Amino acid sequence: MREVMVVARREIQQILRSKNLLISAVAFVVVFGAISTPAVIIAADNPAVILDQLGFYLVLTLGIFCGYIFSGQAFLREKTEGVIETLLCSPLSLRQIWLGKVTGVTIPAYVMALATAVIIAAGSSAILERTIIYSPQVIVHILIVIPAFIAAASGLIGFAQLLLGMRENQILNFGIIMGLIFVISFTREVIGPTVEITWPVLLGTLLVAGALLALIFWLVRFLDRERIVTTLPE
Amino acid sequence: MSVVEVTDLKKSFGRKVVLNGISFTVEKGEVFGFLGPNGAGKTTTMRILLGLLHAGSGSARVMGADLGVDDAVRGRVGVLLENNGIYDRLSAYENLSYYAQLYGVENPGDRISELLQFAGLTERKDDPAGTFSTGMKRKLGIARAILHDPEIVFLDEPSSGLDPEAQHMVRDLILRLSGREGITIFLNSHNLDEVQRVCNRVAILNQGEIKALDSVSSLTAGAGMTVFGVTLSDKAQAGAAQRVLEGIAGVSDLQVQGDHISMKIPHNGAPEVLFTLTGAGISLEEAKKQSRSLEEIYLDVMKKAEASS
Repeated sequence: MREVMVVARREIQQILRSKNLLISAVAFVVVFGAISTPAVIIAADNPAVILDQLGFYLVLTLGIFCGYIFSGQAFLREKTEGVIETLLCSPLSLRQIWLGKVTGVTIPAYVMALATAVIIAAGSSAILERTIIYSPQVIVHILIVIPAFIAAASGLIGFAQLLLGMRENQILNFGIIMGLIFVISFTREVIGPTVEITWPVLLGTLLVAGALLALIFWLVRFLDRERIVTTLPE
Repeated sequence: MSVVEVTDLKKSFGRKVVLNGISFTVEKGEVFGFLGPNGAGKTTTMRILLGLLHAGSGSARVMGADLGVDDAVRGRVGVLLENNGIYDRLSAYENLSYYAQLYGVENPGDRISELLQFAGLTERKDDPAGTFSTGMKRKLGIARAILHDPEIVFLDEPSSGLDPEAQHMVRDLILRLSGREGITIFLNSHNLDEVQRVCNRVAILNQGEIKALDSVSSLTAGAGMTVFGVTLSDKAQAGAAQRVLEGIAGVSDLQVQGDHISMKIPHNGAPEVLFTLTGAGISLEEAKKQSRSLEEIYLDVMKKAEASS
């Protein structure tokens, strides 16, 4: 575990020193958080329902998006620059390297997700001129389910970035960005304004997050040094 | 036991055969040079030894282990690849500190300070490595590779991108590591002069096969033969000298250029040649054994390989 945290700390250090990356993440979180808050006016009689919905899917989606852009730094950039080859020669196992990177990506991405949750709640309160807060189930969702989803998504993206060649990674990146934009844009229309985030919904989401984490932990056994090295750019 | 043992190693990528049954060993404390043109299979061999690629067939072992599966043995190996393994956004000190933690180096502060001084980077230790020149990054990469006192170091073109002074430093380092500290060095290089100066033994690889494998001294002396040259006091005696030399058993490849005659003779044949020439009344200005440079040998091997293919 010590080695995993050494890698994680270095990833966080790298992310914090990458100004462009941080500016992109902060801008994305602030802009999408801020422009979503007027939605609470739709349900003027019960704005907490909309706030919960935003806390449920938007905070999650933006957290995953941040995990995605930080994964680019942790996995893809290291592969593009070839530094990963030296790391593969260290005494760390592939699983330790992968887990360290995922941890290093998940922590800052989760901080961004928390910031989004605060921005949405503060913005909604400002628009309604009264304080509204998330329901207990959404707070649990933000505290437990969202970090699990970010870790699973970052782990899956990192896994794919390590195994795929540069061209395939470009296609993957395009697909992920389009998918996230679609989710952010249309989820609320699909959910509808009256659906409440109940404990059973939360439990279901938690189970999905757990299943995804289990899946990715199982998939990591298929990581292979040769595959990573032979897909490095020339 | 050999530190590196490669036995009938084969590797293909698709239909392309990259290694076609190579075998060699590297002994403890040896500086082993691995030479060959681009595409010969040098990097593939090194990657298989480091556990980054699987062997197609045959075996490649370092300290008796397959580095692809033995994490602990990987911790006793130092590596400097084409990429220095340096993170541009971290300072020189942070880079070394990171690897020191990964390799579990004891008293990392002292060791890092020692290596920063060795690499001449003490004054720049807090600057991001991304602001360093190519040579400085290479030096930092070398410091990183030996940070954990490895038992064997794999160096891939360590002098690449370095100025002559830094190249000299690398050569000194290799000799120091191998001599005083008994570390085995596996040197993958195009720099034949460097290889000749620092390596005990070399393998020359071409098209996935080892074309020459011997000690540097044996290779440069020729197989059982020495290149010997005499300069005559009187150029007019060249014809007579040639006839005398042709009569000596074991003398071959005679080449006359003005007052200078070069030839191949057995390793202990110089006294006989000199005695016979002076006995025949040939007056000599100078006589000396000549060794061929590794570069000449390398080019010879490549030429023969090209002709045979």
